[in-house]
Amino acid sequence: MTIMRQNEVIIRVAGAAGDGVQSAGEILVRTFARSGLYATSYNYYQDIIRGGESWYQVRASDVKVKNQGDGLDILVALNQDGVERHTNPDINEGGASPLGKDGIAIFDNSIKNYTKRDTNYCPMPLADIAAKYSKNTLLKNTVGLGAAIAASGIDFNIFADVIRDQFGKKGDIAELNVKAAKEGYDYFLANYKPLGKKFKFGKKKYMISGGMAVALGAVAGGLKMYVAYPMTPASSALHFLAQHAKKYGVFVKIPEDEISAINTVIGANYAGVRAMTGSSGGGFALMTEAVGLSGMTEVPLVIYEAQRPGPSTGLPTKTEQGDLNQVLGASQGDFPRIVFAPGDIEEAFYLTREAMNIAEKYQTPVFIMSDLYLAEHYDTIDSFDLNFTIDHGLRAKDNEQDYKRYLITETGISPRAIPGQPGNMHNEDSDEHNEYGDVVSDAVTNPQDRIRMMQKRMRKMDTYIEEMRPTPTYHIEDAEYVIIQWGSTKGTVEEAVDILRSKGIKIGAIEVKNVFPLNPDIGTLLKNKKKIIAVENNYSGQLSKYISAQFLVKPDLITKYDGEAFYPNALADEIEVRIGKKKEVIRE
Amino acid sequence: MMNMNDYKNKRVPPDWCPGCGNFAQLSAITMALAELKIDPKDVVVASGIGCSSNMPEFLNTYGFHGLHGRLVPFAAGVKWANSKLTVIAYGGDGDGFFEGTQHFYHTAKRNVDITYMVSDNQVFGLTTGQASPTAPIGLRTKTTPDGNIETPFNPIAFALNAGATFVARAFSGDVKHLKDITVRAIKHKGFSFIDVISPCVTWNKENSYEYFRPRVYHLENNDVTNFDQAYKLAFEWGDHIPIGVFYEVERPTYEDLDEVLRDGPLIEQKVHTLTEEDLEEFA
Ligand SMILES: Cc1ncc(C[n+]2csc(CCOP(=O)(O)OP(=O)(O)O)c2C)c(N)n1
Ligand code: SF4
Repeated sequence: MTIMRQNEVIIRVAGAAGDGVQSAGEILVRTFARSGLYATSYNYYQDIIRGGESWYQVRASDVKVKNQGDGLDILVALNQDGVERHTNPDINEGGASPLGKDGIAIFDNSIKNYTKRDTNYCPMPLADIAAKYSKNTLLKNTVGLGAAIAASGIDFNIFADVIRDQFGKKGDIAELNVKAAKEGYDYFLANYKPLGKKFKFGKKKYMISGGMAVALGAVAGGLKMYVAYPMTPASSALHFLAQHAKKYGVFVKIPEDEISAINTVIGANYAGVRAMTGSSGGGFALMTEAVGLSGMTEVPLVIYEAQRPGPSTGLPTKTEQGDLNQVLGASQGDFPRIVFAPGDIEEAFYLTREAMNIAEKYQTPVFIMSDLYLAEHYDTIDSFDLNFTIDHGLRAKDNEQDYKRYLITETGISPRAIPGQPGNMHNEDSDEHNEYGDVVSDAVTNPQDRIRMMQKRMRKMDTYIEEMRPTPTYHIEDAEYVIIQWGSTKGTVEEAVDILRSKGIKIGAIEVKNVFPLNPDIGTLLKNKKKIIAVENNYSGQLSKYISAQFLVKPDLITKYDGEAFYPNALADEIEVRIGKKKEVIRE
Repeated sequence: MMNMNDYKNKRVPPDWCPGCGNFAQLSAITMALAELKIDPKDVVVASGIGCSSNMPEFLNTYGFHGLHGRLVPFAAGVKWANSKLTVIAYGGDGDGFFEGTQHFYHTAKRNVDITYMVSDNQVFGLTTGQASPTAPIGLRTKTTPDGNIETPFNPIAFALNAGATFVARAFSGDVKHLKDITVRAIKHKGFSFIDVISPCVTWNKENSYEYFRPRVYHLENNDVTNFDQAYKLAFEWGDHIPIGVFYEVERPTYEDLDEVLRDGPLIEQKVHTLTEEDLEEFA
């Protein structure tokens, strides 16, 4: 059973692709953010430009909301299908529950033959009102949103300003939209009862998506070049950076393919400029040879890998965490690599920024693993801590005597010289080499050189493990049961923990933010627990297997691979079953 | 004053077979750099994989021996990061015209200001003599025991099609001419391409120095701005093989046109410090 809170509202806009569902949803998130509420969102869409069903869900509250939520207060349905589908209790769309008995369904009053269920139906003359202001049928959405704003008790003026910004450049159109929205707002209040939500409005928030957070984090970390080939869901970062290229002084380019992209950014990093590439599974597959090139030549490299369901082109507009094996196994041989998995928008920003320093410090590839859910959903933040120092790592002095690019050191890190620097000319080599960078791969091979060089490179991992920050945990102190989680499931897992704790179950969670190398402290955290449960958005429990191998534990596995993110109540129910507190899951 | 030996790595002598065409190219590159008085610290030679691609190891410049076929995007990345550097991409015909073909095409089209020199021996050298994309019809190799049946790749026509602004051919049997072409290619602002006929004395006995010497002739007094003529010349092969500059025109480089790169070398541009004010955009 979903408990609706007085200081929380969940709104869903549903329609066909091309109906403007997404922009309507974004207007709502921005309105809540400016009103001083936290909001988060979920975009359910299909891989077609027109037609096909889509919906956008926004959850807002005066306390931080960690996921899209699985209840529903207000539905704005743009077609009959939307009314039917989202008020039908037998349908469980990817785990989300449709409108309940206290919920409000807003739709055009021309829609009449829907199946009546136990919900507050609020038909309105959306199209008629819209027609007064414009021939453009999309105006209907604005009228519906106006009504939803009235139903949730949000200040209309803030909403009006958001609309003005949205249509700002189109002059009169903005005012027509505001007027239409106001009629929708007034009509609702004159004819129906609002939900009576009680919010404590705070300071205005910023609205940002995961892809934008990765891009901004990279910029904050000194990014000067982003070269990438478009692939959903990594494209949002590419688009954002392309639009801000001039402002942030970042060179942005789509090259002929992903192989070119990664080799180009390796070239730039080699030449001393912080450059990054990004893609999703299939595009990343093309890059894998060059990942090893970065490892072998010890050129810093940051790669943004935004997962979508596979195999192959899979589900292009859906979410999954199925690329961990691919990232861990990318490229032949053994070489150091570091893999981060941010769990939310803030972590996406901070971890990407940190990755820029880490890549240069350890002169090795560093990954930011995200997924469609994290990359594409909008969220709110109060602000970012913008204090940061760019650290270029160990650099050679000019004109070093007898410069050795791959000097054997205890840390595994050798001083780096970059082209243009006087006196330290050398060769960097994709073949095995000695300390100078001279090739040792053929007839004159010295096996000692190979062994020493392998050990030198791999030692960077030991050095890195020592500087790792502790693994983040949630209510772990007294926990008898523990959930292991990575990436975007963070917020949902935490809410599931809250739900179970409210029932007196002592449960906690650990977030595997450093996916590779694993922090040794995870072993300690997992000790003496009654049960370990891994929650993953993939079929086989890729992280779980890898944790089992490293720490000799045997987590129980809760997976989801239908292309949708987890929902908190459904997850809490499932966990309860697994720990034996509930027989089976009965979903309402 | 620099001389050609200042550009050679004193520690590592070339490991090519005696008589390999790559030696002439090593000489031509070092002579050209000395003639142009380019400080070794400002030169990056990027290569792929193959016998020829070992080149950077024998040079006393900044060098990068990367992946098979991927030298051109790497070189573009270096140039885009620091346009002050002289960037030479150097590789084989297998490397550049098989796996690297589309990089070659698009980098030429973008007119990135790098020099791309290909050691064209019509076979794979390092992997022991398989047919390469430029192998002539009938060439017997390990992979074409009955003779090659595939129409050879035409590097000159390809480069012209792609939009390269400098297209030339040279011959390892004529070092002085090869050096002159290299000088012109490095000086040229924009994408310069040199296809170097470079006999592989070990795996390609048919297309030897002796085969090419009587056939090559110098292009003289041709109008290098005449695309149609250059294109026609690109198909001249057999008893008469033109060497020299086929085509050379000025066109803005990618670096000139890009809104960020045109403000100067990326490496010298200030990093944007993110501020609270920047965040206002997201309110
Ligand atoms: C991705 C990849 N595929 C194949 C190889 C094996 N390989 C090394 S060199 C080479 C061909 C070299 O021929 P070419 O480029 O003509 O250079 P040459 O040795 O003749 O100078 C190949 C196929 C490789 N190193 N990497
Ligand atoms: S095999 Fe051929 S290309 Fe390679 S070094 Fe020997 S002669 Fe030169």
